[in-house]
Parts: sequence; C-alpha cells; structure tokens
Amino acid sequence: MKLNRREFLALTGKTAAGAVIFAACGLPERELIVQSPVDLPEDLVRGEDAWYATSMGGFSNGDGVLVRVMQGRAKKIEGNPDHPVTRGKATARFDAVLQLLYHPDRISNPQLRYSKTGNLSNISWDQAEERFANALKNADGALTVVTNPLRGHLGSVASKFAAQYNGKHMAFDPVEQGVLHGAVKSVLGQDQLPTFDISNAQTVLSFGADWLGTWGSPTQFGVKYGEFREQHDRGYMIHAEPRMSLTAAAADLWLAPVPGTEGHLALGIASVIIDEGLVSASNVAAFEAAIPGGVSNVTLDDVAALTGVDADRIKKAAERFAEHTPSVAFGGGSAGAHTNGSFNLGAIYALNILVGAIESKGGIISNPGSAIDDVPASATGASFEAWEQEIANWRAGNVETVIIRGADIVHGMPNSVAIREALEHVPNVIAFGAIHDDTMDFADLVLPEETFLESWGTEIPEPGPGYQVVGTQQPVVGPTISQDESGLVSDARGFGDTLLAMSDGSYGRDMESLVRGALSDLHSTGRGSVSAASASLFTNGALQRGGWWDTDNNGSSSVGRVATSAQGANYSDTDTLGEGNDFHLVPFVSNSIFDGRLAAAPWAQQTPDPISSASWSTWAEINSIQADQLGIKEGDVLLIRSTSGEIEVLAYPHPGVRPGVIGIPMGQGHRKSGRYAEDRGSNVFSILVDEKDSETGALAWAATRVRVQRAGKRVKVPKFEGNVEARPIEPGVPVLVVGVGETAVDAQEANHHLYQKQFLGERKESGDDE
Amino acid sequence: MTTAEFGTHKWGMVVDVDKCIGCNACVIACQAENNIPINTQDRVERARSISWIRVERYWEGDFPDAKARFIPIMCQHCENAPCEPVCPVYATYHNSEGMNVQVYNRCVGTRYCANGCPYIVRFFNYWEPVWPESLRNHLNPDVTVRSRGIMEKCSFCVHRIRRESRNARSAGVEIADGAVQTACSSACPTSALNFGNFNDPDSKVSKMKEDKRHYTLLDQFGTDPNVIYLAKIDADKKVGAGEAATHG
Repeated sequence: MKLNRREFLALTGKTAAGAVIFAACGLPERELIVQSPVDLPEDLVRGEDAWYATSMGGFSNGDGVLVRVMQGRAKKIEGNPDHPVTRGKATARFDAVLQLLYHPDRISNPQLRYSKTGNLSNISWDQAEERFANALKNADGALTVVTNPLRGHLGSVASKFAAQYNGKHMAFDPVEQGVLHGAVKSVLGQDQLPTFDISNAQTVLSFGADWLGTWGSPTQFGVKYGEFREQHDRGYMIHAEPRMSLTAAAADLWLAPVPGTEGHLALGIASVIIDEGLVSASNVAAFEAAIPGGVSNVTLDDVAALTGVDADRIKKAAERFAEHTPSVAFGGGSAGAHTNGSFNLGAIYALNILVGAIESKGGIISNPGSAIDDVPASATGASFEAWEQEIANWRAGNVETVIIRGADIVHGMPNSVAIREALEHVPNVIAFGAIHDDTMDFADLVLPEETFLESWGTEIPEPGPGYQVVGTQQPVVGPTISQDESGLVSDARGFGDTLLAMSDGSYGRDMESLVRGALSDLHSTGRGSVSAASASLFTNGALQRGGWWDTDNNGSSSVGRVATSAQGANYSDTDTLGEGNDFHLVPFVSNSIFDGRLAAAPWAQQTPDPISSASWSTWAEINSIQADQLGIKEGDVLLIRSTSGEIEVLAYPHPGVRPGVIGIPMGQGHRKSGRYAEDRGSNVFSILVDEKDSETGALAWAATRVRVQRAGKRVKVPKFEGNVEARPIEPGVPVLVVGVGETAVDAQEANHHLYQKQFLGERKESGDDE
Repeated sequence: MTTAEFGTHKWGMVVDVDKCIGCNACVIACQAENNIPINTQDRVERARSISWIRVERYWEGDFPDAKARFIPIMCQHCENAPCEPVCPVYATYHNSEGMNVQVYNRCVGTRYCANGCPYIVRFFNYWEPVWPESLRNHLNPDVTVRSRGIMEKCSFCVHRIRRESRNARSAGVEIADGAVQTACSSACPTSALNFGNFNDPDSKVSKMKEDKRHYTLLDQFGTDPNVIYLAKIDADKKVGAGEAATHG
C-alpha cells in the first residue's frame, strides 16, 4: 500500500491513541497516579540498595553502623539498630566520614622522599615494601609504632608487630584520657571505662565531660539521654563546666566553676550532703574512706569562694543529687585536664559511693574485659610525660624507624616538644593515612591507607554498654575507580594487612583471617547474641548484625581510694606575654571536626557549632558582658598568646562562658589535610603549655593561661546565626518553654499576657498610648 | 499498621524540643541523604547556605543564668501552605499524603514561594552545585541533584516513603509504624525527631501530638503545619509566669 505523508500521520496517530486507551484501561488507578507527570523523580525510585553492618573504628568510639551501598558506592552511614551502643542512632560525624573515603585529595599511591629536604615522589607498592623492610631491618630494636589508641585486632597487631622488632607501641591522643582511666581504676577498681545508666537515673551530675557532644560514647549517651527525658518526671540534669558546651546547654542546672576547681566543687557537694544527713551513715563512711583526709575540713563557703560557684547553687545541686535517686556522677574532659586532674576526677567519681550508685540501676555500670584473648578492650594514649621522653629520644637520634598511623602528632603536640625537629632526626619516618596530614610533611615514606569502610577488623567500644561486645568491621566497598575510568582513586592497603605482610606471620596472615578466626573462637564458646550450627554460619550471622555481644557477661568493681595527688591546680604564667588581658584557656573538642581528625571532610567543616553556630574557622568564646567591658566585638581578630606561642582567632562573645575564661575549639590550623582544611583557622594545641597532671603525667591541656590582645582588625565570622531571621511564636519568644506540668496553651497565654503587660506598660510610660 | 496504598497516609513529624540537644546530627544526615551542595565558607558568609533542616539556637538570660535553647526547623508541610498558591507554574503543590512537594523540573525560579514562606525553609540555588569528581560517588541516586535557578526544600525524604511503600505493596503487607523514617529522624540520637502517619490513630506520632505540650510554629498564620512541636520544659520555670524576651 502506498501512503502519502498526510495519510501516514493520520494512521499512526490513530494507532498510537488506540494503544494508549488500551493500555490505560488495564492499569489500576494507583499506577496512573504514580506515573503522573506532577510527581517527582523521587517518586520513581527503582535502584536496589544494600546495607552492610560494620564498625566505625577510631572515628566514633567504635560505634556500630549500617552503610548504604548502591552500585558499589557507599552512600550513607546510619546507626545500626541491632548494635547495643548505637541502637540505630548517629552523630553529626557519621556521614562526614564518607567524604574521607571519596576525598578528592586522597593519597593515591605510595610516596617516597629520597632526602629529608626533598619532595615526595610516587613509587610502586613493591618499592614501598622494599623500603619498609629495609627500615625495619635497620631499626634493630630502635623502632616505635605510633598509632591512635587502638582496641580490637588492630591494636593487637600493632603491639605484636612492635614487639617482634623489639620496638615499642605508643598511642597518641591529643585529648588525653589517661587521667580518666587512672581515676576510674583508683576509685572503682575498673580497667575498662564504665558506662552510666542515664536512662534510669533520676539525677545526672556531670563535670567537664561533653558527653552529649564529643566525650566518651556520645551516640550511646544521646540515646540514653532521650530515655532519661522520657521518664515520668523527666529526670534532672546538672552539669559543671566553665564554658557552656552542648551538654551544659541540655542541663537543668549549669554550674560554671573556675577551671581546675571541679574536684573541690565535688567535695563541696559531698559536704552539703553529709552535713544535711541526706544519705546513710554507711555510705558516708565508705565515701570518707575513699577520700584522703575526708571532707571534715570542707565548708560550703570556702568551696563557693574557691570555685566561684554561688553557694545556693552548690546546695541545690547537692540536695537534688542526694534526694532524687537513683543518681549518677561522672566527669572527664576539661575537668581532668589540669595539674590536679586525678584529684578532680577521683573526687567526682567518689560521689557515686555517697549515693550508692556503683553497680546499681541508674548508676555506674562496669564493663567487662575483652571476650577475645590478646585483643584489648581498653586503650588510651601514652602520657605526655612519656611522649616528652620518647621525643627526646628521637631528637637524640636513638630511634631509627618510626611508623605512624592515625595520629597527626605534628598537629596534635604542643610547640614545647618541638616535634618537627625531632622527626628530622629520625632516619626512617613511615606514615600511613588516607589524606596527607601535617605529620606526613616529615615522613620519608607515605603509604596510602584504606579507610574503615574498606578494611577488616574488630572493634570493642569503650565505654561499652555494660556487657561484652565485639563489633565487626568489614569492607563494604571495593577500590574506587574514578568517574572517567582513568584509574583507581586510591591504591590503598589496610594498616593491619601491611604490618602483617611485613611480619613473621606468627600472629596472623591478614586481618580478614584474624577476624574470621576470632569469630570462630566466639562460636566455640556457645554464648552470646549469635547462635549457629557451624562456625561459618556464625561468622556470617555476626557480620550481618555488625558483631557479637553477650548480655550475661558483665563487669565488676571494687571501691578504692582517690589518688593522693595535689588538690590545688597550677596554671601557666602570663607575666612576660606583653600587652593584653589575661584569660584562662579552655580548649574544647569540636562537635563536627573533633580533634581535627575530620577536618578534611567538607561536611564536618560546614556543620555549625551547636553553641556559636560558627563553621570553617577558629573562634574564641568569651563572656559577652566581659567582652563589652574590654571593647571586644564579634569578629575582632584576637591574638592569643601563651608561653608556648601565639595564634589568631575570631572573637565570638556570648553569655554562656564564665568571665575570665576563653574557649577555643580544637581541630583547625592544619598546614595540610586536603583542600578543605589546609591553612584554615588556628591550631590551639600548638599554644598549650607543658603542665602535667601530677599523678599520671598526662598533659594538663586546660591549665594554660593566655594573654589576649586585639589585633586591630575585624572580619565576618562564618556562622549560621543570623542567616535566617528569627520568627518568634510570640514577640521575643522564639522557643516555647513550659514549666513542669504546664500546657503549651497555658504557656502561650501567659507569654501573651506578659508581652502585653510589658508592651502596654512601656507605651504608657512613654505617653504614646494613641 | 498502616496501609501501603498511595494517598491513604498523612505523613508528619513531631519534634520534642525538650529532647533536642542541638547536636546537628539531623542536619548532616539530611545533607548526605538529599545531595545538598556543600555550604562553603563563602556561601555561609553570604547567608546563602542551604540546609533543609536547621537547628536554631537562642540565648536566654546572662551568666550565670544563661540558657541556650535549641529548636530544629524544617519545611512544615503546611495544609494551607502560603508557598503553594503563589507559584505560577505549579512547581510546588500539596499531595494527597499531606506533603508539600516541589517539582524541580517545573520550577522557573521566581522565588515567590520563598517570599511567601513564613518559616524561611525554602532555599534557592544561586549557583550550580559543584562537587569534586570523586565526591560525586556518595551522591544519593534516589534524589535529584538540583541545578542553578531551582528552589528546593525538605521533602520529608519522599523517596524513602516511596521505597518503603513500593516494598510493602510488593510484599502485600502494610507499612508498619516507624518503618518509614526520614534521614533526620533516623539519625536523631535522642529521638527528638519522630516521623509517621497522622492518619493512623495508633501511630507513635499520633499519640505524641496529643501531648499537652504540643503546638505549631506561627500558629497565628493559620498554615496548619504537619510538623508538630512539643514545648521545651524548664524545671525552674514557674508555671503561668510567662517567658521574657530572648536574644541571640
């Protein structure tokens, strides 16, 4: 049949219309709705995703997570609902780790520096392994393996590797926890950090530790805090810290003591409780036995004068803590970062003896030891005193080879130890990492390391939930090919696998076999959360759930005594620091970039600080009234000077800081660390002085006094505050607050009446009623 | 249990302000889930950052009685949304599940909707979103990457709802209460954010919204939001005393 153009179009048009009518008749109504053109592409989700359970390693206390993977790419990190620590929840840091995995500045190849002053050049893994082997051979006992505090199999491998070569394994943590571990050991007799039954406590009393933001196990504690507030009478929370942290902001009562007097504040609370007879005589006797010298000489007025906290507030805290039980007291962070840190934390933890909170519901719960032989369940950094000795050894040329992983020691050490010069005297510095950090500037051999999303391991959370937990870590993604197929984003290898490849093989072949072997051993115990007929099925079950835990295997404690260290705090001098005003420096861990380990991730950089709302920078928090008195405005560039050095920060005055205190976040001021962190902000670690806790030798990182001077220039603070105009529910009331038992309607009505009274009153006084 | 049939739900959120600690876990979870461009320092300084959910912080009082109040704010998915009637191209409309939806392909960037929104939760893409090539690996394929000139806002993670609905339909089961979680509610460590179906009287959110602390933001505008807030409790506040003006 021959058709002209018009006939052809007419025919095809009718055929198409018929097809549409026919098809539409056969479709259910909902499918038509789904295919409606007003729907979003999001309505038409079709791709299949997979969720893998793993553990977060050093980025977040070994939290158990689920990673969403599509087409071989990790897309999202969420809390693992099965994991007893995270229980399906997250922190602001979880997803930011994805950006380390896919970071544009990820180290792609092994790199070698042929001379100490030369540049790094790409080499092959074969060449790198040869260099590595020579460095180990030359070390002949003069070897130090430096890592972040490691639990689980990676910690075990690092220690055994160092021992095989007659070297030592030292952990570095810029925010030392040694004082905390010491206090827990001396007062509670526990090797592992305990957990706190916040969910069932009526009163929580905490000191210095930002436990809802960055301290301990924030995900675990955050979930418990939610449960704490769900109780019938919602619980009561008291927090003592010189600067208002995220945790202090959540408290019902905030106490802001003079830095370094937290232990005295604890004893003041104890003395009120004892004087008013609020607890049993046996508890008082047990408490006094734990405190060297007891509290008979402690008076409320003296404590109020020393700590700078009003006596009525101390009394209120004490009465609440003793009368509304179960109660729990704990501390850490800046409270332990003083020359009297051991005394401070010891006195704080001893308060639990007074109210009978040890191993009881709503109190302190011990954690047991490791479920796997030779695998550490607890880890902390070596003391600053030990580091000073070690670095002196490096400087003296006594150490041939230093292997560094997960510890940016050049960024994290104070200027006083002169770490850069020391590293220049070590013939072989071998650094592992995913992104070039400040320490790698001094490395002779740089080895690209897999992230926790690409490697095998186990992780024992500390603090755990009160029973044995072994979290599993498995590779959830393979090597990443660049989008344009030009090659691998990074030819990285696992730290553990590389050490094992260079070892004599006596403690493992590779990390995967170690993990599988450990799970097989756990299977043979016949206990815990996974039960299976065979070791193989057990292993798969544990990997699917993200680990293994045994709720019946708990810890225990035995009450001891607070260390008899110095009770008074020493601070550094400021006499020779030139012009300016003296402040007490209280550094704090950033809620998003932490101590700097997440500074490379742009999501972590951009996250507003909970209190200041600032991002992408280093700011200084000072009391707003004091700032007014000193003529300091927001954005003023301040020179912060200590006997160890000087940094520049941006002023951010607000009412949540004790006058005389200046709070500065940690984590910025990297010379390297990728395009998002390089040369950004200032490094507060660098100006810390070398004061130490008298008992443990830990760095007293909150004992530095500084002189603050305006630099004479002002810049805009990159912050979220002010980006959006506040839209109050009632004039001047952006957040509706009710009293206990009050309804929202009643509160709104009361606010309205108050506003009308204020508004009309003012108008009446000014005579402009009309 | 709620049915998986389309149009039978009324999705909504209950925010318990008393549990919000201001940690920003929700903010980053949303950022990752919804392919929101990186808020560079320049964008933050120019007040052009995009954040579908934000945590506002307000100060009350002075030292030593200073208190920081946090409140998370996202699109309120109003039943009487001021943003909807002003859109000349129907890029934003109300769907039958209670959500205020944005159709990116229709948006021509008039920004009338943002001007009309009293909650300031709509964000305009002044620039083309840029990610270094390697960071594109973590983009969520379920969510459209918006281009320059397009308005965007919280979608209640509609793609998660659709995925769960589809899975439920395929399996011939109903959607269990709590099975659909937005990225923010899933991340929130204290469970201050709660998502669910208001049409199901037995759902968690339906029960929560009956709490005597419930209120909606800017109630006086009559927008009838599908985000319900439970007021912050201050143990020291005298009942019936009213709240003085705050700052910050």
